[in-house]
Amino acid sequence: MGEVKFFFGPNHPGMHGNFSVYLHVEGDTVVKARPIPGFLHRGFEKLMERRLWFQNMALIPRICVPEPDINEICYSMAIEKIAKVDVPERAQWIRMIVLEIARMANHFMSFPGIGGPLGLYTGPNWGVADRDRILDIFEALTGARIYHMYIIPGGVRKDMTPKIEDLIWKTLDYIESRLPDYENLIFKNRIVRTRLKGKIILTREQALEMGVTGVGLRATGVPYDIRKVDPYLFYGKVDFEVPTATEGDAFSRVYLKFLEIPQSIRIIRQALEKMPAGKVNVRISEGSALRYRVPKGYAYVHVESSRGEYGYFMVSDGEEKPYRVAVRGASYPQGLYGIEKYMPGTRIEDVPVWLATMDVCAPEIDR
Amino acid sequence: MTNSMNEVIKKIRRQFKDVFITEIDEREVKIDVPQENALGILSILKNEGFSHLSLLICVDWIENKEFELVYILFSWKDGGKIIVSTRIDRENPKFVTVKHMWPVARFYEREIHEFFGVEFEGNDDMKPLILELWDDIPPSRKDFDP
Repeated sequence: MGEVKFFFGPNHPGMHGNFSVYLHVEGDTVVKARPIPGFLHRGFEKLMERRLWFQNMALIPRICVPEPDINEICYSMAIEKIAKVDVPERAQWIRMIVLEIARMANHFMSFPGIGGPLGLYTGPNWGVADRDRILDIFEALTGARIYHMYIIPGGVRKDMTPKIEDLIWKTLDYIESRLPDYENLIFKNRIVRTRLKGKIILTREQALEMGVTGVGLRATGVPYDIRKVDPYLFYGKVDFEVPTATEGDAFSRVYLKFLEIPQSIRIIRQALEKMPAGKVNVRISEGSALRYRVPKGYAYVHVESSRGEYGYFMVSDGEEKPYRVAVRGASYPQGLYGIEKYMPGTRIEDVPVWLATMDVCAPEIDR
Repeated sequence: MTNSMNEVIKKIRRQFKDVFITEIDEREVKIDVPQENALGILSILKNEGFSHLSLLICVDWIENKEFELVYILFSWKDGGKIIVSTRIDRENPKFVTVKHMWPVARFYEREIHEFFGVEFEGNDDMKPLILELWDDIPPSRKDFDP
């Protein structure tokens, strides 16, 4: 049998996002694969250089579509690092709560979303419906459901009222009550276990050599989480665990996402209790915010997003616009190098499962 | 600075002369090195625990006629970040590849070639990554006006 070349493109219903892959296939097995990014290139890094420091706040959430708050926190923390700004304590706790809620919202799209490539369509329908309840919290707190523009340099935009705190407590109880149903539906299903257990294995050496972070690395047995290794905000003051697995296969990567949700709920409950009263932002510019200038300097800030290490590198030369901002998307290693080296050997029907469990997210590769 | 950062910086200062060190934070340090020593310093850092390459980027300093290549390294052992930065000439930008140390750097260098025009010796995979049918100057340079 000869080799056939396929273009598995962005319009295909099995593709994970707006990405495409050239597949060379012999029979049913892939022998060569080449990634083609670029369909979502919007030129963010150049756009940021032509806008004022505060005008960029409206632009950057759109870099990472499923979880936009990580862009806001990295941009704000980088400016605070260069300009040596002291953020009030209540604002740091509110930022932690927002980040953990965003992590849960993204996990609710990704682990039931494995039902898409496998044919278990009840999973994504339930997941998106429960994610809607979480987006209700964001709507009450920030005014928008997806792109919040809430975390700003100096703190957060508005305070969290007692009514919103009540809404968060109720939503957390509701989510906790739904988790056993998800476990029964997805992880105890015989077909899901047959298709995911023991497949698409990534060993620890391969993951460390590629630079994979996040769930892909923790499924090989090492508890590397930036919230524990390089703590930011107040993660050093709350109790939580980092779930790990040892098999390194597709099933454990998806299952670890499911196990991180109770830990996020634990962090949010502790944060709501420990949060003091006080101001939620500090004024960082003397006159108008549009004339604000960051002093000269360099900084790199990274956070643990739901897919891995997400970071911003910022260069400022003392002017009113950023000189250079570079984004480190969490799925660079898997989406570019991983597809060329580790996808050959999988069957055609497992290619969407490969892309979904390895967390290839197109918007952050293209920027 | 963390303990392991202190140790490795002492080691680097013993071996190389013109390194310039700035401390940004208690876990973040920036090292400015001349072009010919960059590869040696990166090898030392990789063997001392700073084995994760977070990002490789280029900054265009058009007034000084230089490009600045920045390597950001992270250590999983104690959370330290070291930013290694070196300057190359803007008229004829060339540098060596690091893809034998970090395989994913091949793609970072491919993107820098496409957006800034820097040549990397040893990396011959320089096809365009993100743009298609582009016939203007590299778009991330400061003299490109969209």
